Amino acid sequence: MASNHYHDSTVAPDLTEKELRRMAIRSMFLQASFNYERMQAAGWLFSILPGLRSIHKDEKDFKRSMKEHLEFFNTHPFLVTFIMGIILAMEQRKEDREAIRGIKVATMGPLGGIGDALFWLTLLPITAGIGASMAIEGNIAGPFFFLIVFNIFHFALRFGLMEYSYKMGVKAVAKLKEGTKLISRAASIVGLTVVGGLVATYVSLSINYTWKMGEGELNIQTGVLDQIMPALLPLSFTFLVYWLLKKGRSPLTIILIIVIIGLIGSYFGFL
Amino acid sequence: MLLESLLIALWAGIIGIDLYNGLTHIHRPIVTGLVVGLILGDVTTGLIIGGTLELIWMGMAPLAGAQPPNVVIGGTIGVAFGIILEQDPNVAIGIAVPFAVAMQGFVTFLFTIFAPLMHRADKYAEEGNYKGIDRLNYLGLSIHFVANAVIAFLPIYFGAEKAQVWVEAIPQWVINGLSIAGGMMPAIGFAMLMKIMLKKEYIMFFIIGFVLAAYLNLPIMAIALIGLAIALYDYFTARTKGGLGTGEEEITDGI
Repeated sequence: MASNHYHDSTVAPDLTEKELRRMAIRSMFLQASFNYERMQAAGWLFSILPGLRSIHKDEKDFKRSMKEHLEFFNTHPFLVTFIMGIILAMEQRKEDREAIRGIKVATMGPLGGIGDALFWLTLLPITAGIGASMAIEGNIAGPFFFLIVFNIFHFALRFGLMEYSYKMGVKAVAKLKEGTKLISRAASIVGLTVVGGLVATYVSLSINYTWKMGEGELNIQTGVLDQIMPALLPLSFTFLVYWLLKKGRSPLTIILIIVIIGLIGSYFGFL
Repeated sequence: MLLESLLIALWAGIIGIDLYNGLTHIHRPIVTGLVVGLILGDVTTGLIIGGTLELIWMGMAPLAGAQPPNVVIGGTIGVAFGIILEQDPNVAIGIAVPFAVAMQGFVTFLFTIFAPLMHRADKYAEEGNYKGIDRLNYLGLSIHFVANAVIAFLPIYFGAEKAQVWVEAIPQWVINGLSIAGGMMPAIGFAMLMKIMLKKEYIMFFIIGFVLAAYLNLPIMAIALIGLAIALYDYFTARTKGGLGTGEEEITDGI
């Protein structure tokens, strides 16, 4: 299993508060290069890069960690620092790389859901609602009230979670050191369960075609495909891409094919 | 009017970045109302229109990657025209909406064309070129800045009618097609993860996660907790047995 471990397995010195703060600031640009293929991946790597640089003195390990942190990533842009802290603690301790990936994949989805509920559906409507009702009466304090209250929560969580989860991560990882193989297996189990759920939730593809035969009408999507299995097309399509990747097709070719399918489907109106 | 238009465009560019990065929420119409009001010399009207637009956009949040009508362009153009034409907020919204929708289409386009850049990023990673990763992200920020600034500038400087003709020159089927493609693209990211993670003995967990989401519509949090329960069971069973069996230790790379 040597390939799952870093070449240089010595535990790196603890990251300083300054480094942690710097990365929390960089995490504000998590979505700078957001895209549909890997979503926040490059922004995620951008956020933790200073940490990876000070942890991995071995050139090969550094490149490897960069490459692996460019894999698909998507979570809530405020709570992301919580995942950053844990992952940096694991990187610093040179944990099994499969375990690092597993933890990352297992936490990003649930945190995304929590963050949406907490910020977009609770904090934003409350603060913006109060601010807007003040502004509508011509009260200049409205925008200021909104910005100040909203950002107190925003920055307290962004910076607080970074420190908290890093310290907790270092402690937890040190304790768990004994059975890394078991832990990486456990992380992979949670990770793949989440990936299964994400495929059904995030990939969207449906047929917009109604088959008319005399009096009767049959909608292919709701009448046939959904009857066989919900999210049948997203699942089949994901496995098609999986198969193409395994056959060595480049993801760039696949992107091109997807854009062409999308345009044709839209032009003729069947997607 | 040129100076005012440029200042508003500058504001739109800045808050266009804030919409996805920074997220200090200066991009909300309630703040834009104040700022555009200051630029155009009528703070009170700006505040009132900004507050009204805020209530309209409230609840339209970027949930799970779905794009609501663009709040940056809707806010800036809405407030600007409300003040310039001395119209009530509802008329201002009517003028702003086509641009907000067009901008939304353009954002979809940006999110699509940024996918190929990930492969440039992979190359930087192989070379250990961390500066390249920085540059790539700064490029993204600049593109968002320019796009928002230009789309806000056009209607305010040239007038809404003229600008609308240009905006509507992009056929709707192209925008729809790109958004369909955008919906399919996460499959690539997941397939790449699966290529690495999906060993034979883990396929059952993928199936469980899929069924929970597709049939039971459970939120991802619930699915992760069920996964965690299985993982804990597996962990403690394996521990009492004294580690994993030899058969499970061999490396398989997928099915």
